[in-house]
Parts: sequence; C-alpha cells; structure tokens
Amino acid sequence: MSNDSHVKFRLNNSELWGGLIGLAFGGYVIWSGLKLKLGTINDPGAGFVLFYAGILMCLFATSIIISALTEGGPTFGSRWVSTRWTKPLLVIICLVAFSFALNPLGFLLSSIPLMLLLLRVVDPVRWSLAIPIAVLVPLGMWWILKRLLLIQLPSGIFEIG
Amino acid sequence: MDTLVNVAHGFGVALQPINLIYCFIGVFIGTLVGVLPGIGPISAMSLLLPITLSGTPESGIIMMAGIYYGSMYGGSTTSILVNIPGEAASVVTCIDGHQMAKEGRAGPALGIAAFGSFFAGTFALIALMLVAPKLASVAIAFGPAEYFSLMVLGLVVLTFLTQGSMAKALLMACVGVVLGVVGLDSITAQPRLTFGRVELIDGIGLVPVVMGLFGVAEVLLNTEQVIKRDIINTKITHLFPSREDWKVTTGPMSRGTILGFFLGILPGGGAVISSFASYALEKRLSKTPERFGHGAIEGVAGPEAANNAAAGGAFIPLMTLGIPPNVVMALLLGAFVIHGLQPGPLMITQNPGLFWGIVASMYIGNLMLLVLNLPMIGMWVQLLKLPYNVLFPLIILFTIIGVYCSSNNVFDVHVMIAFGVIGYFMRKLGYEPAPLVLAFVLGPMLENNLRKSLILSQGDLITFVERPISAVCLTFALVLLVAPLLPSLAKKRELVALDEEA
Repeated sequence: MSNDSHVKFRLNNSELWGGLIGLAFGGYVIWSGLKLKLGTINDPGAGFVLFYAGILMCLFATSIIISALTEGGPTFGSRWVSTRWTKPLLVIICLVAFSFALNPLGFLLSSIPLMLLLLRVVDPVRWSLAIPIAVLVPLGMWWILKRLLLIQLPSGIFEIG
Repeated sequence: MDTLVNVAHGFGVALQPINLIYCFIGVFIGTLVGVLPGIGPISAMSLLLPITLSGTPESGIIMMAGIYYGSMYGGSTTSILVNIPGEAASVVTCIDGHQMAKEGRAGPALGIAAFGSFFAGTFALIALMLVAPKLASVAIAFGPAEYFSLMVLGLVVLTFLTQGSMAKALLMACVGVVLGVVGLDSITAQPRLTFGRVELIDGIGLVPVVMGLFGVAEVLLNTEQVIKRDIINTKITHLFPSREDWKVTTGPMSRGTILGFFLGILPGGGAVISSFASYALEKRLSKTPERFGHGAIEGVAGPEAANNAAAGGAFIPLMTLGIPPNVVMALLLGAFVIHGLQPGPLMITQNPGLFWGIVASMYIGNLMLLVLNLPMIGMWVQLLKLPYNVLFPLIILFTIIGVYCSSNNVFDVHVMIAFGVIGYFMRKLGYEPAPLVLAFVLGPMLENNLRKSLILSQGDLITFVERPISAVCLTFALVLLVAPLLPSLAKKRELVALDEEA
C-alpha cells in the first residue's frame, strides 16, 4: 500500500476554500429565499426559486468540498506559480482606485492617470508613447461621446468634462 | 415561393445603407477581435452592446451577429500565422494551419480557411432560412413546461461541455440563476437581494456582468504572462488554393459544414466543439492520418467550415424558441431585449423584416468577410504586431466607457470592476464563467416558466414529464448529469470539454 492513497489535509487547499465559499453563499441564498416566503407548490412565492437554487448550490459546494478532502487539490500558491501575479494585482489596485475616483474627480481627471498607470505598470511602455496615449485616447473618447453622441460622462466636483 | 418573397424582403432591409454600414462595422470588428489574441467575440460583443441602443433594432442585431461570425473568420489568421488561436473555436486550426505556414504554405492555408468558412456560412444561412420558420411554427405549441425543460437542458449541456469539474460548472449555473433574479419579483413586486440599493431594483445589468467576467478578467489573466508572438514573416502568396487542394478539401469541408450546423443548433454546443469534432472525424476518415499535425490541409478546411456552420446554426434556437444555446447568443438575446423585442416563435411572423433582414445581412456579411480576409490579409498581419501592453489599457478604457454608456450610471462601472476581479479569481480557481452568464440570462425566464407551469398545473410536478418534449429534454439533462459518474462517459466528456481559456 503506497502513501499516495492517503490525502494529506491542507488548510491552503484552494478547492476546499472554493467549496466553502460556495456553501456559505448557498446558505445565504436559502436564508434569503425563506425570508422572502416560499409560497405553496401551486402558487410559488418570491423566494421559491432562490430557496431551491440555494439548496442546489449547497449540494454542489458540498460535493466540491468532499472531493477536496478525499482527493486533495492544488494550493493557492500553486495556482499562481510561474506567473507574474503582481501584475494583475497592480491592475486591480488601479481599477479599484479608479472606481472610487470616478465620481468625485470626473471621467477625464480619473481616466488619464488610470491609463498612464496601466501603460507603465505591467510591461512599461516608454514615456514618450505612454503620455500621448494616456492623454489623447480619453480626451478623444470624451469628445466623441460628448460632442457627437451627446452622452454626458461624469464631470466630478471640478466640473471638468 | 413564400421563402423567396421573404428573402427579397430581407435583402430590402439588409441593403439599406445604414444596415450595410452596421454590417460592415460588425464583420470588421469581428475579424479584428478574431485576429487579436486576448480578446474574443464575447468581450467584443459585450463591449459594443450599448452601441446597439443608438440605432434601430435591425442595425444593432446585424452588427452584433457580424461580430460573431466575423470572429470565426479572423480567428484562423492568428492560428495559422502566429500559432495562437485568436478565439477558442480556432484552437484546432493551429495544429495543421501553422505547420502549413512553416512549410511556406500560409497562403493556401489562409485561402482554404476563408473559402471553407464562406461555403459553410452560406450553407448554414440557407438551412437557417428553411428550418427556422418550420421550427417556429412547431414552437408556438410550446407551453411553460417545455420552455422550462429546454432551458434546463441548455444549462446542463453547457455545464457538461465546460472544461473541468462538472460540480463547479453546476454551482456557477446556480449562482447565475440567483444573480439573474436579483431585483423586483415579476409577480409579487417584492425586492430580492437588493440590499436596499435603488440601482439593484431593476436587477444587475447584463453588460457590466459580461464585460467584467469576460473583458476585465481576460485582461487580468493576460497580464500574468508575457505574450510572445512568433509571426511567420514570409510573403503570403497563392491565397487561391490549387486544384489539388480543392480536391482534397471538398469532402472535409462538406462534412465539417453539416456536422457544425447540427452541433451549433444543440443547446450548449457551438463553434468550439464542432471544430474539435470535425478534426477528429477527418483524422479518423483519412487514409493517411499520420499527416494530421504535420500540415494536412484537411485539418484546416474541416474545422474552419465546422465552426462557421455552427455559428449559423446557433441562431436557430434563439430565433425560433427565444432560447440562447450559448453565451454569445445570450448576448444577442440581450441586444434584442434592450430594444424591447423578444425572439421566439412569433418573431418571424410578427417581425418578418427583422428576422429576414438579419438572415440577408449574414449573406452580405459573408461576402464582405471573404474580401476582408483574402485581399486585405496584409493589413491583419500588420495588426498582429500591435503590442499587448498598449492594447490592454485601451480595452480597459473601452469597457469602462461601454458600461457607463449602457446605463449612464457609475454604479455599473463598480459592478463591472467587481465582476472583473471575481471573474479573475474564478478562472484561477477553475470556475468557468460561461455557465454563470448563460444562467444569468436564462434565470428570469427559467423562474417565470417554472412558476407559470406550477400555477397552471395546480402544483402537479407530473406536468413536466407527461408532456413529451419536456420529458425528452429532462431525460437528456438527467443522463448528462449522471454521465460524469460513469468512468467511460466521464472520459468522453473530458475529450469534448470546451477550453474557453484557449
């Protein structure tokens, strides 16, 4: 009997955590369905489909968890091995910062720095190309939308754009 | 005779200058996204969905359809010249297409891919024209139970064909249904899962969800790696295949066309699976299967014909039943809904101009594609040299603008970014977004039909099995759900599973 038949329980098993998140979400959906009232089988209520969808989610999530416990699964680290994981992280940070800046600063003042950051942080584009692209593309898009299509983009507290 | 009159009416609509322009924009963008690795038809269609609002329904749908079948043409160029599939349906074309290019036969490979796509696309349109009205007249008799069961079958087929764990795909489908029913309940008007946010009363928008899960998440995944491109630099000549090439490829093209068309109709099927199936079929039928993988032109002709025929076939369930068989068609359904139209059995009779106009525009679009992909091949080769580090910030900016324009609401931009991040982690953990998106679109219809059938049958669940069409759909769905438990069928599933990341 080889040791391969024994699957070592690891807390950083990504499959296990994926299943647990699914289970928690399923549980929440069941609770929401119950709160909205299920109705009866011949007159289903607003929570009817949510309740049964939640039950199915819990079933599938449980199957994922059981499979993770019995067969094991890749760790979180192995999912990002030999990848440049910092690059998507930087893009996510830029996007989150942009989403918070969009309303107060407006489209132009938030999208020009976003473009410049994206052009420089992943595979840096030289400054002489990055600056014109970062300025002209949002400006061009803003002009087309505002002047030609009459779509008002957020102008922010400074009312620029 | 009626069909001819209808086709003439359709050409009357499609040949209007504005529709011709939209058709050209659609097939041009389709070829562009097909050529550029890292952005596929789903991302492009979700990006351009808000633009359909600015024109008539005919123009918008003609453009969206053009993007879909245009990307099928363009995808082969990247596969043959760079060995990177421009979109998932062109994965198989890399195998022999790139080998042919390495041997100095890039021209015939590109030529046969374009002509094969053209013939298959034309066949699919004629079949669509003949089959759709007949099927629509049958579908009028469908009740809520049949619709519910058909949607369940569509979702189960897609989860069956999705790569990786079926439990994960089914979980994603359930999440999609839940997200789809967020907002006011259509019967009781109770708000569901809105967390007190006014923006969620009308539900979560399709555009931010799809752009996040496919557009932003795709960009995040691509930034993880350095994208290297090994472009064939030889001059592309002999685009018109020789007599010998035609002789060898006529059979594979015909078989690929028929196979692709029928696989395209099936819910959950589509262009990707049909191209794989065609390649496997041609290899099996060949007297010299050892040539496959080493530059066999049949390995390019069959799959390219199959994926284009499937793209045409996929319109049948959407146009006749109102049920999208795959994510691309779900987006097209979104475009119909944006214009207040509901595709289904009554659309052909109530809105003949729209249906026949779309069909006729696809003929015209196929001709445009032939011109775009053969004499103008040099332009696409130049585009392949556009560096990804310049392209991806532009994609991000366009998705932000696209989402904002669809609703004039910053909240939707936040939703898109959130779904982009969720989509990235989902893909990293092996959870495919396709079942989620299809279920998100089908969710409200699924719920509506389930509740209607239960009310009509006074709570009798037997209604789903005593109606023959419903019973057949549910039986198939059950077989597919049980299949992964049987080792022999599980192995077959792995062979046909869709590789969406390709």
